[in-house]
Amino acid sequence: MALENTDIAARKGRVPMVAQRIILISVLLTIWELGSSLTEGEFWVSRPLLIVERLITMIQSGELLRHLTATLVEAGSGLLLAGLVGIPLGIALERFPRVAKLVEPIIMGLYGLPRVALAPLFILWVGIGLASKVLMSFSMVIFVFLMNVSEGVRSIDKDMLDLMSTMRASRSFVTRRVVLPAIVPWILTAIRIGVGLALIGAVVAELIGSNQGLGWFIEKSAGRLDTTGVFTGLIVLMAVAMLANFMIVSAERRLLRWRGNSR
Amino acid sequence: MSVQIPAASPGEMAVPSAAAADSIALHGVDIAYEREGQEPLLVVENCSLSVGREEFVAIVGPSGCGKSTVLRAISGLLRPTRGKVLIHGNEVVGHPAGVGFMFQRDTLLPWCSVEENIAIGLELSGNPQKDPQATIRDLVQLLGLNGFEKSYPSALSGGMRQRVSLGRLLAYHPDVMLMDEPFGALDSLTKAVLGRELLRIWEAERRSIVFVTHDIEEAVYLADRVVVFSPRPGRIVAQHRIDIPRPREARAIRSDPRFTHICEQIWDDLKLPTH
Ligand SMILES: Nc1ncnc2c1ncn2[C@@H]1O[C@H](COP(=O)(O)OP(=O)(O)OP(=O)(O)O)[C@@H](O)[C@H]1O
Ligand SMILES: [Mg+2]
Repeated sequence: MALENTDIAARKGRVPMVAQRIILISVLLTIWELGSSLTEGEFWVSRPLLIVERLITMIQSGELLRHLTATLVEAGSGLLLAGLVGIPLGIALERFPRVAKLVEPIIMGLYGLPRVALAPLFILWVGIGLASKVLMSFSMVIFVFLMNVSEGVRSIDKDMLDLMSTMRASRSFVTRRVVLPAIVPWILTAIRIGVGLALIGAVVAELIGSNQGLGWFIEKSAGRLDTTGVFTGLIVLMAVAMLANFMIVSAERRLLRWRGNSR
Repeated sequence: MSVQIPAASPGEMAVPSAAAADSIALHGVDIAYEREGQEPLLVVENCSLSVGREEFVAIVGPSGCGKSTVLRAISGLLRPTRGKVLIHGNEVVGHPAGVGFMFQRDTLLPWCSVEENIAIGLELSGNPQKDPQATIRDLVQLLGLNGFEKSYPSALSGGMRQRVSLGRLLAYHPDVMLMDEPFGALDSLTKAVLGRELLRIWEAERRSIVFVTHDIEEAVYLADRVVVFSPRPGRIVAQHRIDIPRPREARAIRSDPRFTHICEQIWDDLKLPTH
């Protein structure tokens, strides 16, 4: 087995990547803290220490958990639903190229639509509750799944499929053993891009009509000119996105072991 | 000396004729590839060829002359523009049963380990196995892949991948084996070893093999008959029956005067201008 990057770094006496990242973030935070307190910029951009303080009070009061759960449920459901619809649909579109050609302009048209503008419509349709946020997230992510999965199916080696047909493999055998494994990397990429978009969808829908969630909390704080509140909400959103990304990367490592270390 | 063989005439040596005994028969096959905005590209022209049930036929010919294309037509992956392809006397529709193909390019499933790739041949063969694991172990052993059973193709050399592909083909256990330069990526030693193994397997259990290669000596060593193709559009310019008795010895055969004579003839055939 080849050496991991970090092992090589350690051997060369370099600081490992994780440590380098922590140092970078600490430096940025320090600049923010000092810059903000020295220039009276606190009103506009708050300060890391104030944000930490706010985080602690929000954790203690249970407020953070409430908003975080709300947003995670909305974005998570939207992402999951988009995967459940988008993956089979993407495969189906490649299997029936004529249908794909027929509906392509419609799909591209919907994709081009600024879906944020649809939020009021969604609220009108399904009300101000959870459903409108899930729908919003879904509408942001579905296209990512659709396009990635289609591209993934299209990129499958034609000879591999031909070989399967010379062995008279059934369609379900080919789907299970060739198509699905081949698109796993594409699905993981879709999830990776989709997490951010699902969060955007959920937060935007919350801004327009809600009584909880990180988006709503940010909106409410801004209304009170509470920049520390706004930044606290933003930082939590960022942490969620980073954590999700980290989880996907480690899933990738496990699921795509067959690719080897040569990349 | 070489012989021009018109479509129907047997030419220098008798081509096995009893149609019922042939597992593959091509009658006057033309194959052209459609090209966008251009004339179709004629790749194979008026090709007639039959392969007996237990016959080992090698095809040699210059690069791009349509050898792979002929194999694709036999396996039903493409339809000839003109002429007929028969497998066991029936015209090919769809993908005929019992025809195994080993492609020139690597077509292993990258997400399946060596054993899993070989197991796919076994699964699709439709013969229920008493002990599939044992069959796979035997193949791994035979192909010298011990210790790599759990490796993924990304961790194998080109030659090892070819051996796994051969393992998958053998596991599929077809009556007709189409092999497109199966040993192309191997060093001469491994090539000799696998050639010998292939002959051993085939001599123990005879079936039809069509073996494409650019190595004339390999063709003559392995085959009952060597078919020589012209440059594109590929036509059969000569066929040579190899009457050297079996079992053949890879090293000894190379000093056999019959062997060297046929090799020289094929060299001449290949240099032959087409018109
Ligand atoms: N799918 C295709 N579409 C158009 N042309 C093709 C296609 N496949 C092959 N050809 C052309 O047909 C000709 C014969 O191809 P083929 O692969 O059968 O050659 P070959 O004899 O197997 O050559 P090699 O020894 O290099 O493998 C080539 O000139 C190639 O450009
Ligand atoms: Mg070829």
